[in-house]
Amino acid sequence: MKKILQFFQSMTFGLILLGLITVCSLIGSLIVQNGEPMTYVRYYPDYYQIIFALQFDHIFTSWYFILLAGLLCVNLLFCSIMRIGRIARQKPAVKEAAFRQAGMQKADESKLAEIREYLEGRRCRKEERDGVTVYTKNDIGWYGSFVTHLGLLLTIVLFGAAMYLPKISDQSCYPGDSLMLNDGTRIYVDSFRIEDETGKLDYTSTVNIALPDGRESGLKEVSVNHPVSMGRYKIYQQTYGTIGKIAASRNGTTDEFYLESGDFLSADGKNGIWYDRLYPGFITDDAGRTTLIESTSGHYENPVYVFTLMENGSSEMMMAFPGDSIEVGDLEFTFLEPVEYPGLRIKRTPAMINPLLLAAVLLMTFGLYLAMFVPPVIVSVSDKGYAVHGPKQESVLYDIGNLSDNEESEE
Amino acid sequence: MLNVIFFGGLVLYFISMFLQFAGMVFRKEAWSRIAWFLFLGGFALETVYLIARGVAAHRLPLSNQFEFAAAFSWAIGALLVFCYYKLHIEWMQAVGIAAAFLILSYAALQPREITDLMPALRSSWFGFHIGSAAISYAGFMLAGGVGVRYILISRKNKNDKTLVQMDFFIYRLIALGLLMLTITIVTGAIWAEEAWSSFWTWDPKEVWALITWIIYAVYLHLRINRKRRGEFLAWYAIGAVPVVLFTFIGVNTLIPGLHSYGALETIRHLM
Repeated sequence: MKKILQFFQSMTFGLILLGLITVCSLIGSLIVQNGEPMTYVRYYPDYYQIIFALQFDHIFTSWYFILLAGLLCVNLLFCSIMRIGRIARQKPAVKEAAFRQAGMQKADESKLAEIREYLEGRRCRKEERDGVTVYTKNDIGWYGSFVTHLGLLLTIVLFGAAMYLPKISDQSCYPGDSLMLNDGTRIYVDSFRIEDETGKLDYTSTVNIALPDGRESGLKEVSVNHPVSMGRYKIYQQTYGTIGKIAASRNGTTDEFYLESGDFLSADGKNGIWYDRLYPGFITDDAGRTTLIESTSGHYENPVYVFTLMENGSSEMMMAFPGDSIEVGDLEFTFLEPVEYPGLRIKRTPAMINPLLLAAVLLMTFGLYLAMFVPPVIVSVSDKGYAVHGPKQESVLYDIGNLSDNEESEE
Repeated sequence: MLNVIFFGGLVLYFISMFLQFAGMVFRKEAWSRIAWFLFLGGFALETVYLIARGVAAHRLPLSNQFEFAAAFSWAIGALLVFCYYKLHIEWMQAVGIAAAFLILSYAALQPREITDLMPALRSSWFGFHIGSAAISYAGFMLAGGVGVRYILISRKNKNDKTLVQMDFFIYRLIALGLLMLTITIVTGAIWAEEAWSSFWTWDPKEVWALITWIIYAVYLHLRINRKRRGEFLAWYAIGAVPVVLFTFIGVNTLIPGLHSYGALETIRHLM
């Protein structure tokens, strides 16, 4: 049992896990992830069954990848706990060894004076006992590796939480309309515009978020890289679309409607128009035949409305351009210019996850910096020679200009 | 004019590299010294070029494959200059100049026109994310270069005193590279959350950055065992360079994903 536990906390186990995660990542980068089943049948006709069986089509959410990540967390947890215990034991022992001048290198007076001058120049703390001076600095460097591993562990755990706990929904909303969310939050879309200053389109929505407790964001612009946050919500500019619009007039009153495929506009339920869809444009050939076309750019340069006219029991498929009018029964319909509207991504994140994740990655980065660039300095100097101690002797030896002349002592 | 400066720097790098190797082969120290000054000239030209390009584009020159490659090469040069003047290391010159030249040559093959930054890249994280990646790759590339030097010297004389220094510097360069790559990944994740609503999307570029990170993290762990230091880890540093280059070039051009900005221009250029 003890041996199994030791293996789980060993560096070898950690490295094996990292190796396996690398292999999974490699596979995941080469095989399309989360595609439709037919995609794999088409692109990998000889291997698709293996891909499905081994879950290579969604490897990063496969049970074994999650297991590997979990085991890595266990390894990191044990590693961190063991490490802090080891540091607590090692630190005083190393200092004692420094006063005993274990692993002393003989050096002449001038070299020793040079080392003392260097260490004092770096403002090392100085303690003297029995003719041995011990210079110390960067005590925090002892904890670099511990902080890195702890930061990495927290990062993985919180990253998992930040990936899977938020609730995300993609919703379209027409300018002037609102989205009402389950908890009573209301997102009002004031306007939407597409800017094309440089040939590269930028999409901007102006929205207001009203929380159930009465707080409001006020009108804020949402665009790529600039989401709007309010409470636990974050609103992103995700996509955009174009929708047809129509004005219906009757007895001197006019109402405007957005048109969605399948809408039937009628006063009596019999006579009216059955809306099919909006086409971005059309082409007319030499014979005068018109063909409706789809857009590759997303622009609706010559929009055409297609609908079915239902009148007196008969139906007829028709086309109309913005500005065209048609009378059906006692209603007059006028097709208006299509309207562009945003597709918004609404993300609701549990409180504190993002700040905690940010703190964890900063901790890990800080730990890496400590581990690699803030080596603890423990140098003992006497009349006979000097010795370098601690976990990062190589860096200290390099700094005092003696890397090539010394072998590090095992402590 | 910008092209003259860019290619002037490239030519100086080439002559410098050639002289460096000739100086090593024929044991002419004077040639190596001249080569170093030629390299400094080339580095100065590349510095001027990047600044001028940034001024002309009204942004940091890091937005596409060409600009990143030029910045990557510049970062190798900057590390080389730092190591030479601050740390007094001369044995890194030959491999460093060759690495800077190779990456700059790759840049020269890319389309060079200055384009406006696409909306997806207009973010305050842009400079941190891509700048740290350039420094990170430069550290890894130089570490691989020093690894080559290590192997060559150790084949001649296993007791050469510079070997210990080289081994240590491979570690230091990888440590710098890993720290910078961590910053790249962290800033990229924060940026991704701002732009795409998710810290991580398992996009091929992200996956390969993670693979690179793991490979160098493993290096640091292997180095704890002192018996593995030296030749084994020098080979490891060399072997990891293709992974870095694949993360930089291969992923952008061979695997479609969210980071294919630079590659699109290259593909258009080739068509």
